[in-house]
Amino acid sequence: MSGLPVVVGVGLTAFAANRVDCTVRDLALEAALACMHDAGLMDLKAVQHGLTSYESDHFNRQMTLGALLHDHLGLTPLPNVRVEGGGATGALALRTAWAYVQSGLCDSILVYGAELNGRSVSTQTANQLFALSADFDWEMMVGGTYTAFYAAMMRAHMQRYGTTEAQCAHVAVRNRKNAQHNPLAQKPMDLTIEEVLNSRAVAEPYKLLDCSLLSDGAAALLLATEDWARAHSPVFARRPVVYFAATGCGSDTMRLGDRYPDITNFRGKRAAAQQAYAQLGISDPLAQIDVAELYDSYSGVEIQAVEDLGFVAAGEGGAAVASGLFDLGGRLPVNPSGGLLGRGAPVGATGIAQAIEIVQQLWGTVHPARQAANARRGLTDTHAGIGTLCVVNIFERRD
Amino acid sequence: MAEVTAKRDILTAASPHAETPDIWADFRQIEVLTLELRQRYEHSLGKYSRFFIELENGRFLGTRCARCQRVYAPPRPLCPACLAVTTWQELAGTGTLITYAVQHFGSGANDDVNRLATPYVLAYVLLDGASTLFPHILRAAPENVRIGMRVRVAYSSGPVQHPLHLMYFVAQG
Ligand SMILES: [Zn+2]
Repeated sequence: MSGLPVVVGVGLTAFAANRVDCTVRDLALEAALACMHDAGLMDLKAVQHGLTSYESDHFNRQMTLGALLHDHLGLTPLPNVRVEGGGATGALALRTAWAYVQSGLCDSILVYGAELNGRSVSTQTANQLFALSADFDWEMMVGGTYTAFYAAMMRAHMQRYGTTEAQCAHVAVRNRKNAQHNPLAQKPMDLTIEEVLNSRAVAEPYKLLDCSLLSDGAAALLLATEDWARAHSPVFARRPVVYFAATGCGSDTMRLGDRYPDITNFRGKRAAAQQAYAQLGISDPLAQIDVAELYDSYSGVEIQAVEDLGFVAAGEGGAAVASGLFDLGGRLPVNPSGGLLGRGAPVGATGIAQAIEIVQQLWGTVHPARQAANARRGLTDTHAGIGTLCVVNIFERRD
Repeated sequence: MAEVTAKRDILTAASPHAETPDIWADFRQIEVLTLELRQRYEHSLGKYSRFFIELENGRFLGTRCARCQRVYAPPRPLCPACLAVTTWQELAGTGTLITYAVQHFGSGANDDVNRLATPYVLAYVLLDGASTLFPHILRAAPENVRIGMRVRVAYSSGPVQHPLHLMYFVAQG
């Protein structure tokens, strides 16, 4: 397994509803610069490849952002590739980089993602733009939105398994509470279950505080072979080696209705997890994974995810979440960063930011109040649409 | 004074990172513009067109795959399970509500959606004879909606902006 890529450096911007101080290129530059400094590099001259991660030409009001960012990072004339996978863009970008390094196409690759999903457009415009990533002719035209698709899916889960809105609210409370220990988080909050339950209805059964955030932000991660890292990064030998150990990817139909009767959970997520687990011989993920960042685009989605990732059996996610199993100090801390609910979700950066939280958890460098105990293996779960494209990436500390 | 019509604001932004010193200190004066981007599309409904045209006649069509007998509603010209070309199949338009969402804000998708009062019910209906769920608006008070209730397609004579709004769901009986 010595050919596995290692993480050389990471960089994050603050996530915010409105990074009015930045264009999308400013954000990407801030994250890349932070990543370079984290890796102990004075410049990016030794890096062999660029990878641009962003979802939307519409939000950013700029096509071919890959060319633009690559240029402004001084990476020309190096090769560059832009990766897009809806909500899973950042995770798919890392998966792509994993394959590029594993294949020998390059020994080092800077993965940087950025997005302006915040207040550059109104919330209604944002909903319309996100709806363009649904089935435009059939779902969007009848007045559907992603919130409604997720809500219909959660209602089916509630009907089949008895999952409750209070169990969903536990996720909304915990993740925003975790964000209180993350200085780069967009919306740290100290809430009660009742406050979530009493918040304004958005698309029932989801209320305002069940919904994740629209964010501006960027993230960057430098991935390389272990030889490249030792040769170029003066800080590499000083901290635990973290390998990007496994990656899986699955998919499902675009429209929820075409999945009937399997409409309560994420089939693509099950497929992605099984691939990643098989690469590492993981048979009991609850026992064999120490920390996880899950795609909590809506509170109940985390409940569905812990089932599909095999942490608990189908239908047991609600009770497991409410029992505190996935809280800080619980058996498998989930979303210590605050997740999409508390930290935020600039789409092209989200999957990379999840990975950065896991890497820093494995390094032991996060704020002590959100540090998972004995973290040696961590997982990220990221998806597009309503689980239309799912990516599971696993990182391991080996020393 | 020069005039900039798109200018909305000039402000001084604080560093979000609380760094000392702020490495971007020289770049904290920010100008914000208001810009618009409007497009108009000639949007063909392609091989799905007959579904929309028949809605004008109060008929509801799905497509059937002769190989696996699945019936697709919404229609698919190609069966993804068999990669076989399907044929049009009329359905009665009756069905069962499988799941739904009560949406409290308009999506702004088109004029037809903008005319809906909120909250509205986005329903996933298993039409009798179909293999998939059809998503559309169920015109019913949210408190009267139950999973498993019987519904049917109702037709509108318009005027509508988008032909998909020539139909909607209502409770049966
Ligand atoms: Zn077929």
